[in-house]
Amino acid sequence: MLELVDLTKRFKQQYAVKNLNMFIEKGEIIGLLGPNGAGKSTAISMMSSLVEPTAGDVRFNNNSILKKPAQLRKVTGIVPQEIALYNDLTAEENLQFFGRIYRLKGAELKRRMDEVLDLIGLKDRRKDIVKKYSGGMKRRLNIGVALLHDPELIIMDEPTVGIDPQSRNYILETVKRLNAERNITVLYTSHYMEEVEFLCDRIYIMDKGNLIASGTKDDIKRILSAEKTISIKADRLNEAFIKEIKEHPLVNNIQVEEKEITIMVAKEVNIFSTLIKMAEDASLELSSVAIKTPTLEDVFLHLTGRALRD
Amino acid sequence: MIGQIIKKQALLLIRNPVQLLLLIGLPIILILILGNALGSMMNGDSSGLKVKLALIEHQPENEQVENFLASIDNPKGTKVEQSDVTNIAPIQTLKSILTNDELKGVIDVREVPFSEKQAVLDDNTYTAVIEIPRKFTHDFLSYTIFGEGNKPKLQLYENEQQQIGAGVIRSLLEDLQRQYTLASFLQEKEIDQQVLAVETALLNNNQQSINQKNPVTSKGYYTIGMAVMTVLYIAATIGSLAFMEKRIFVFNRIIIGNMSRWVYFTGILLSGMIFGCLHLGIIFSFAWITFGVSWPNIMALLLVTFAFSIAVGGIAVLLTAISYRLHSETVTNFFSGIVVSLMALMGGSFYPIGDNSTFIQTLGNLTPNGAGMSAYLSILRGDNISAISSNILFLCLFGMAMILIAASTFPKRGEAV
Repeated sequence: MLELVDLTKRFKQQYAVKNLNMFIEKGEIIGLLGPNGAGKSTAISMMSSLVEPTAGDVRFNNNSILKKPAQLRKVTGIVPQEIALYNDLTAEENLQFFGRIYRLKGAELKRRMDEVLDLIGLKDRRKDIVKKYSGGMKRRLNIGVALLHDPELIIMDEPTVGIDPQSRNYILETVKRLNAERNITVLYTSHYMEEVEFLCDRIYIMDKGNLIASGTKDDIKRILSAEKTISIKADRLNEAFIKEIKEHPLVNNIQVEEKEITIMVAKEVNIFSTLIKMAEDASLELSSVAIKTPTLEDVFLHLTGRALRD
Repeated sequence: MIGQIIKKQALLLIRNPVQLLLLIGLPIILILILGNALGSMMNGDSSGLKVKLALIEHQPENEQVENFLASIDNPKGTKVEQSDVTNIAPIQTLKSILTNDELKGVIDVREVPFSEKQAVLDDNTYTAVIEIPRKFTHDFLSYTIFGEGNKPKLQLYENEQQQIGAGVIRSLLEDLQRQYTLASFLQEKEIDQQVLAVETALLNNNQQSINQKNPVTSKGYYTIGMAVMTVLYIAATIGSLAFMEKRIFVFNRIIIGNMSRWVYFTGILLSGMIFGCLHLGIIFSFAWITFGVSWPNIMALLLVTFAFSIAVGGIAVLLTAISYRLHSETVTNFFSGIVVSLMALMGGSFYPIGDNSTFIQTLGNLTPNGAGMSAYLSILRGDNISAISSNILFLCLFGMAMILIAASTFPKRGEAV
């Protein structure tokens, strides 16, 4: 359906996206993962025909959209990361305006507005000014606008940023339902691993403008087949212990949080006794040491040496 | 779709009452303040000074004149004619000065009987009271013609709270006294009074405004001045709203909706034009209803307003295009914060600054508000369309130039992020 071929965007000497190759088949939910600044939004801007690439091509149904973007735009709904709505208009007025932009009118526009408001759960608040909405409601309306013209493909750029868990779940369930019931193709970008794990069939991982991994969830997790992830928990971690682990030759990657250290070591390495010894030397009382099932977060750590949300 | 853009802009404006109040309320307040404060400086207005004067005569002057003529024993053998005496009768002369055409609008003279003297003195609305004692004219004539008796005296009461008006009355009386003293001196020295007389025709003050069929009142002037200034804020507001659409990524959403950016561009241009016209219409209607500022030629008014709206629309799209290009609202803020004020000053919105310098006048007419103001003032004065054709042409060309620059600056396909 949509294919990116060696897509590159350079701002002066800086590559925002470099040689990105991707494909999306009809009916799939594709995840595009990466930390802030990875190049996800620039990639989305190019594939939605907003920004011209420096090099490469975007093909929709085997036709380049670079010169003729209309075909893609007609069947694509974009949910930007920002709340791209008029705060001083009501939900209904916003939908009406964007509906007219999508050339819907009369009874058709009214029917689509009703459907969308129902889908995003804002039917009762349709006449309220958007600025009176909660963050979650705004996010839902932001999605609703992209659904007005009944698109075949929806590109969602971090649609759950900064909202409460309840609204987040609502949005994720809505996306799942749209895909299942209407066979809408979804490209979902996020830096929340759990969202991508929940939603997506296939995943692309970007970092610093480069594609660093791609495949199904299992494919990607298999990247870690040669390694294992160990979680070390303590009530109060100390610098001496962290320093010693960081400098240990058998530790491939390390991620430090408040009360937990996650390390990666080769599968055949037995490091448990060494860890306990190091904790004793650093006068640290461990609360647990355990081998974890690898997550996408671990894959990202393995590939980049950094946590996804760093 | 252009209609949707305009409708949406209208809704956004209506939903911002503070902004709306500033756009409509500000010019009205400024018209009121400037129109009243600077009214006396403008042509066509009556002075702001109002003097209410009470004249209390203890004895009618004609009675005194008759008594005087009857009592003459003509000691020096001088022949005194009744007409000569009547001509120099002081109270009659004073009244004729106070009620002449030039002072009619300023001094309101009330002849009050002596019995009401205290009431008049207690009435704070009176600026001054002149009390003329009994036999004042009789004594005056005796002293002036025969040099007999003492100089008679008038009593002037001044209202301290109306010092300017009271000062005017005092000056008038002092001037009159000076005239009589001079006349008395000439008579005493037997000099012909005609020697000092100046040809009356040379002193005639005939005030006529050049090229002005209908004088423009201060309210009329400032209605135009403020309207042409504040309509520029409409352009800034439209530019600001358009930049907001870019900032909150609505513009991208519009583009992704497959709307041509030129349709959007046209929507902004027409919004500027329509809201500019509405703004001018509201201000002019308000001034017509409240201050009676009426337009002798409605066709000319509509024509100038249309031409002016092209300029306003042009500025709106130019501000939008530059803001989009620079990814910043600084230009719009600079325009509304500084440029509008400077243009208003040069264009003569606050004061007819061009009256003092042809260069500034030319410069002022090279601003859209200055050209609009000149055209509107001409219409108000009663000029026909041909007299304002150059202003109309300038406004159209200015607007077109802005549109062309904006079109070449506006981000092209693939440039907006």
